[in-house]
Amino acid sequence: MEYEELIASQLSFIGKVLSVFSHDINNHLAILKESAGLIGDLIEFGKTSSRKDLKEILKITQSIKNQIEQATYFCDKLNGFGHGMEKPLSTFNIHECIEELMVLLNRFINQKMIRIEKDFTANMPLIYSNPLKVQFLMFCLVEKHLKRLDKNSRIIIKTVYANDSIGITIIPQGNLIETDEKLTCDEESYNHIIKQLGVNISHKTAEETTIILPVSLSSGSNRS
Amino acid sequence: MSTKVLIVDDEVEFASTLAERLALRNYDVKAVYNAEDAITDAQSDPPDVVLLDLRMPGIGGLEVLKILKKFDPSIEVILVTGQPETEGSGEGIPTGLFDYIMKPVDMGELILKINNADQKRKLSRHS
Repeated sequence: MEYEELIASQLSFIGKVLSVFSHDINNHLAILKESAGLIGDLIEFGKTSSRKDLKEILKITQSIKNQIEQATYFCDKLNGFGHGMEKPLSTFNIHECIEELMVLLNRFINQKMIRIEKDFTANMPLIYSNPLKVQFLMFCLVEKHLKRLDKNSRIIIKTVYANDSIGITIIPQGNLIETDEKLTCDEESYNHIIKQLGVNISHKTAEETTIILPVSLSSGSNRS
Repeated sequence: MSTKVLIVDDEVEFASTLAERLALRNYDVKAVYNAEDAITDAQSDPPDVVLLDLRMPGIGGLEVLKILKKFDPSIEVILVTGQPETEGSGEGIPTGLFDYIMKPVDMGELILKINNADQKRKLSRHS
């Protein structure tokens, strides 16, 4: 039963990432369609004869280029997320792993009007672990604060490296609000994923959480 | 007199480009990029039709719809959404909503919906 709940929570997390991604990509496509449509309109309405008109068209084509670049960047992040699901264990950079998740959830975070700030330590070694599960754990920790913090708050994600382990601290800053919104990750799934990743948890305060992630996870400890 | 259209969408580029395209078709268009500006604007210069994004930071589209309809029930609102249904409400069709249209927008379909909404507003103001 515990395992089924974990799978359901993880699927819900993946669903969240995919729905935010598809919503964002759809927005990029909508802007591209309007921009292309506007060029067509300007030609149709005969607004292409003056230097000013041509400058306007150049501006729109530049905007199309920017949209494509942003959409490509976003697709690259989903590509990385997808590859992280292919193999149970892989070697990766923890900062890129966190960054990937934050980019993919950017719209969800923005809607809450909460800022995520990164305080990443330099020269972080690569780790051997399960990127999807690490991202799921990060999501569980961040989502809890996203639901409980008032707008214009911030969440700081800080990383350190010591003793063959990586410490990731989540520091929420801002006013708390009452909420009965359900979390994607329930307590049991959270405890299960911590066990699977070989993570130690410490709390400096009731709100501030640090997870200590081993640099190398043996394949045996990844099994549920 | 041109139909007054207010576009409310936090995607600045989408809203401003759509506004430009509608203006070329002789609509009297204004674009705002958040719910607060939409409410202020609609109260100071009531539009005939509002094209309203469903998901915006802070106050969402459905809340804006309620406020606008309370202020002036004859303002017609068309939701512009990326979802195939007016998701998020969980209570069926939101009260007072005229229609919705999917992103990316089909210009012909949008114009038809704006004109129908405008016609309904004019009829309700005369009755």
